[in-house]
Amino acid sequence: MTDKTQTKAVSKAPLTDEEFVNKYNGGRKIIDFVGHKKIFFGISLAIIIIGIICNFIFGTQLDIQFSGGATLKFSYSGEINQSELTDFIQVETTEDRITTTYAQDLMGDSGTTVTVQFSGNDSIKTDIQKNLESDLQKKYPDNNFKCLESNSVDASMGFSFLLKCLTAVAIAAVLMVLYVTIRFKKIGGLSAGVMALVALFHDVAMIYFMYVIFQMPIDASFIAVVLMILGYSLNDTIVIYDRVREEKKLVGSKTDVGKIFNLSCTKCIKRTIMTSVTTLSAILVVYVVACAFNITSVQGFALPMIIGIISGCYSSICIAGPLWVMWQRHKKAKKLAAKAA
Amino acid sequence: MKRVPKPVFFVVALLILAFSFTAIFGISYYTGDNKTTVLKGISDIRWGIDIRGGVEATFKPAGDVDATDEQLESAKSIIELRMVSQGITDYELYADAKSDRIIVRFPWKEDSDQNAVEAIEEISSTAQLTFRPGDGHETTDIDSNGEYVYKTPSGDTAKTILMDGSYVESASAGMTTDKTTGKNSYVVQLKLKSSGDKNGKERFADITKEYLNQQVSIWMDDIMLSAPKVEAEITDGNAVISGDFTAKEAQDLASKINAGALPFQLETSNYGTISATLGENSLIAMAYAGVIAFILIAIIMILFYRLPGFVAVISLLGQMGLAIAAVSGYFPVFSSFTMTLPGIAGLILSIGMGVDCNVITAERIKEELKAGRTLDGALERGTKNSLSAIIDGNMTVIIVSIILMLVFGPANILSIIFGESTTGTIYSFGYTLLVGVIANFIMGVFCTRIMLRSVAGFKFLRKKWLFGGAKND
Repeated sequence: MTDKTQTKAVSKAPLTDEEFVNKYNGGRKIIDFVGHKKIFFGISLAIIIIGIICNFIFGTQLDIQFSGGATLKFSYSGEINQSELTDFIQVETTEDRITTTYAQDLMGDSGTTVTVQFSGNDSIKTDIQKNLESDLQKKYPDNNFKCLESNSVDASMGFSFLLKCLTAVAIAAVLMVLYVTIRFKKIGGLSAGVMALVALFHDVAMIYFMYVIFQMPIDASFIAVVLMILGYSLNDTIVIYDRVREEKKLVGSKTDVGKIFNLSCTKCIKRTIMTSVTTLSAILVVYVVACAFNITSVQGFALPMIIGIISGCYSSICIAGPLWVMWQRHKKAKKLAAKAA
Repeated sequence: MKRVPKPVFFVVALLILAFSFTAIFGISYYTGDNKTTVLKGISDIRWGIDIRGGVEATFKPAGDVDATDEQLESAKSIIELRMVSQGITDYELYADAKSDRIIVRFPWKEDSDQNAVEAIEEISSTAQLTFRPGDGHETTDIDSNGEYVYKTPSGDTAKTILMDGSYVESASAGMTTDKTTGKNSYVVQLKLKSSGDKNGKERFADITKEYLNQQVSIWMDDIMLSAPKVEAEITDGNAVISGDFTAKEAQDLASKINAGALPFQLETSNYGTISATLGENSLIAMAYAGVIAFILIAIIMILFYRLPGFVAVISLLGQMGLAIAAVSGYFPVFSSFTMTLPGIAGLILSIGMGVDCNVITAERIKEELKAGRTLDGALERGTKNSLSAIIDGNMTVIIVSIILMLVFGPANILSIIFGESTTGTIYSFGYTLLVGVIANFIMGVFCTRIMLRSVAGFKFLRKKWLFGGAKND
């Protein structure tokens, strides 16, 4: 070290923790996010490992939108023996095994619904639906059978749709990391961008494992939720980075990045939580109402969104931040080592 | 800090309230039974097929036919004609030359009892009209009215085609009275072409001459419509198809012949149908969800942020109004947008996310107050310091929503690689998200700030507690 830096160090001795708290956070406690990183990383890793194990046990189901296949959904009123009905549908449609699921509509007036899922990944001929509907109406004339929904997808088209979706997710991720890298040059743009990306992968993994654990088939909603959460989670991360940039200016770059991060994060954690709470309550309302009305398409959209919002909030504070601090510390250490050598 | 005059708060708040009210309910008046819409509201929104119910189908040439681009285009325009003649105008139709596919999606007509599958079969039938010698057929079915249906030509009838639909100029439904019984029956009248290389008039004259006193059968695709005996040579270029039609059947057949035959047989490779009742239920459910979510968030905001929270609720209402206006076509410059269930979910989600910029600002003001600043100073610094975070945060959501619109939208850059597709229901999720963010920016940043500064001018409201400070200040 030269003399000059030494005199400066003497005139401006590093603040003790207490002084730091008093000076920059009005004496209120600063939460030590970085110090608890092992716990945070541990929790996330544990969930990811459980998810992977579940993935091996249950496997991943692709919705017919992607894999190809066919489903028909009928509504009927009154009571019908379910296994009898299943057998009847089986006999009337195909020799391959079909799977039926029954659901009750609590609020609306569609009565009971039965969903028929055909095995295999082929689309069905339109005749099958037409004949089944008229057969059901003939066999159970008093139960008011009606076809609510039908879907039949060719396997090759499903696959091309899947590719399109994955491409879009990749483009979105790259664009957003680029944006962060450019906007946050002052706090090590690339490291900020890459760590934000790690947090995003974390969130996507959480949503994916939720699909695996709940055994929900992966469909277009999954892609929409993933894209949405990419934006949402990054929004959280950015608000924190923005604060770090601001505090760094105030505190000065001499201070340890971990300290700056803890300070910034403590200051904006209320906002992060509040926004998550309002967003979460909006989507929770949607989910509860969709359950009451038995709207499966909206349920399948809202539930992963709920998981994504929680994970997005958590990953911004507990994953992206501490990782960014580690990277910055590592860089600083390397610089010092290079200087010393 | 620049003071904003006190009345500004009321002016802005009233404008927002008035705007949101008209955007939600619309303005229309009745002159007699005619409704004139001045401003479009929620009831004027065009709903997607997942709400109104409808059909989506993908067709491809049956077997190993490799259709040329011209053939595909002509098939597309024939399907288009058929839909228009059935009164379906609100459709989406794409022909993807690379994969030889035709994709169609259309909602139900209002108050119609259409059968989804029949509609698909109807628009994709080949509609090949043929005149064949004899009446040889392979199978005989009995239809739901107890009438015989003869299917699949056989023998000589299968081998020879005397004339097909391309010789027909036009077809129309008509009625004839049987001379002996006096019974009226519906028929399809054909006017044959009288010039060009498909001269139906000459051709038909030749046929009736050659097969005089013999049977000639008329087929639509695989089904025999009628098999009359030729009783006289017909040279005037008019032919009649009789076959126990109802008025509607005759009309349908005539329009099928008019639309022309497809250049190849089509196979339905994908299809999906949604009944109108299912969608209606969902719409009611989502309306409940929207109202409940709004009230819940309003309560949370006012409880936590007091006066800024109250102001936030007003601007949130304005944001909803703007978002709805962008969907319904409230502003004549923006055409109305087809709204789907995920679109509504996006709108509700944007209520939750929309308060974000208010939360950031309110938290910032609170913080500055705690740091011991004066009310004006806190307001000034709080609004200034929070701007960059709001802009950066919103940018990512904008990127996401544009990409969502690209993936699930109609023809765009991505479809060059992955082929054409119909507009997915998630397209409108991207749209409402984008609109939500922009509306949020206008309302949450601009209007909120003006209102906050104006409100801060009232003496009785100049209490730090109301802005999130400690109680005794």
